[in-house]
Amino acid sequence: MAAMLEISDLVGGYGSVQILNGASLKVETGQIAALLGGNGTGKSTLLKATSGLIKPWAGTITFDGERIDGLRPDTIVRRGLVQVTQGKEAFPAMTVEENLKLGAYVVRSRARMAAALERVYGYFPVLKDKRRQLSGTLSGGQLQMVCIGRGLMSSPKMIMLDEPSAALAPQVVMEIFRTIHRISRDGMTVLMVEQNVRMALLLAAYGYVIKDGVIHLEGPADKMIHDDNVRLSYLGGTVANREARL
Amino acid sequence: MIDYAIDLCIIGLSVGMVYALVALGISLIFSGLDIVHFAHGEIYMIGAFIGLMLFQKLALPYVPTLLLAVILTGFVGVFIERVFYRRLTRAGGGYTVAGMGMVIVGFGMSIVLQNVAFLIWGPKPFPFPVPFGRPIELGNLALPMSYVWIVVTALTLMAALHLVLRKTMIGLAIRAVAHNKDIAYLSGVNVPLMISTIFGIACALGAAAGVLIAPINYVQVQMGVGILIKAFAAAVVGGFGSLPGAVLGGLLVGVVESLGAGFISGTYKDIYAFVLLIVVLMVKPSGILGVAAKVKA
Ligand SMILES: Nc1ncnc2c1ncn2[C@@H]1O[C@H](COP(=O)(O)OP(=O)(O)OP(=O)(O)O)[C@@H](O)[C@H]1O
Ligand SMILES: [Mg+2]
Repeated sequence: MAAMLEISDLVGGYGSVQILNGASLKVETGQIAALLGGNGTGKSTLLKATSGLIKPWAGTITFDGERIDGLRPDTIVRRGLVQVTQGKEAFPAMTVEENLKLGAYVVRSRARMAAALERVYGYFPVLKDKRRQLSGTLSGGQLQMVCIGRGLMSSPKMIMLDEPSAALAPQVVMEIFRTIHRISRDGMTVLMVEQNVRMALLLAAYGYVIKDGVIHLEGPADKMIHDDNVRLSYLGGTVANREARL
Repeated sequence: MIDYAIDLCIIGLSVGMVYALVALGISLIFSGLDIVHFAHGEIYMIGAFIGLMLFQKLALPYVPTLLLAVILTGFVGVFIERVFYRRLTRAGGGYTVAGMGMVIVGFGMSIVLQNVAFLIWGPKPFPFPVPFGRPIELGNLALPMSYVWIVVTALTLMAALHLVLRKTMIGLAIRAVAHNKDIAYLSGVNVPLMISTIFGIACALGAAAGVLIAPINYVQVQMGVGILIKAFAAAVVGGFGSLPGAVLGGLLVGVVESLGAGFISGTYKDIYAFVLLIVVLMVKPSGILGVAAKVKA
């Protein structure tokens, strides 16, 4: 299998503050990879540097065989790599359907946009019922569905999800994870940042643990999940965090 | 008495339309770029001068003059944004330190544009005589055609803006950029291009206002100073950043000013807008259609 995304020695940060200190990871085509780590370790920063929201200072990012580091975010979306940010950021003054359509901004054909919309409604039927409702009036779970749905609207090759299960009720968490599984089965490559370590490792094929802006540990997810060492030394805090939240 | 009041209201509404167009531009720039554009009066002035050139030097009819002036000034705006504002807005606008820089650059741009216009056209006021034809008779009222033109054109432009924002993908992208640039970017929107587009549209609206008022007033280098203050009053009265608010505020300022000048005194015509502003701000500090929390576009 060829790697869909390969990040090598990525360095970057905000202003003059360096956050990423040479992170490297690889996501195989069609795979779900999980990126784990405690708060403030640089997970979101890594995704933002990959999607182009912040410019990497050094290192390379290869997506689908081509370098994408330093490109503008909308260009990277056109190449087929989409990021769904942390915190369920949608456009509250737009309807659900407008939010979704915006995700297909790079899609010029109406027919393809309509097909993408139907596909998203297939994954999240509740959004179809709410399509004329302002997204500002949705529940947290529905809002997360809008955000993931918007990411899918351009029919990308790969999607990066930043904590899709954060701050959601347990049943909704399960529903989101089930849908991510379905999306992956339909051929999507996924990189998922998660605090819900157990669920993420159950779903993913491969896991990475980031600490202080570098990948400290990696391995097949089924190995990692049984590795007490991993949980205690790197993830203990985050598991506790998650349990405190739920 | 009643007829006189109606007359004043009609004049106020049409002048208010002009304020509304400028205020719309200011609000659009504020919601899209997070900056308060203090040089927007000069954009209005440049639009009027471009219109004057087209009308007199090229002898174009009024409608093509208006259209061309609007389009050309739109591109002047895009040029100004790309060359002068881009660096600053990229560092962040609004309430950041860079936003303060932007305010100062706006004032600077206002002075620069006035001086450029002065070098080209000099200090003299130019008449912009358009043969609009006979006034429309409405019962006892005689409505000058120039006012009718203002109202019709302004309403057309506002309707067009509304349709673009609500019904097209570009409009969706503009609203997205106004609310959250990162998410707009991640949705595949070319954010820098969209910012230029917003700025260009705002300047085009300002130019329309300039060309519409020119047949009633004169075209003159200083004409942007007064309108900026009125348009700001209008935008704040309506609720800063709100597009319907800009229109409502513009009309209110126009009508109050016209009634005040007609019934109280014309000497202090300019203070009525501020009396209105103070009253509105005392009753509702966020403006009539403004919301306390900033929800834009
Ligand atoms: N816009 C920003 N400007 C400056 N510093 C930032 C910015 N965003 C994040 N940081 C800093 O970068 C570091 C890494 O943040 P990041 O958001 O990547 O962490 P994370 O691993 O995603 O954490 P979390 O689990 O809390 O989401 C933190 O120390 C944070 O304070
Ligand atoms: Mg994060």
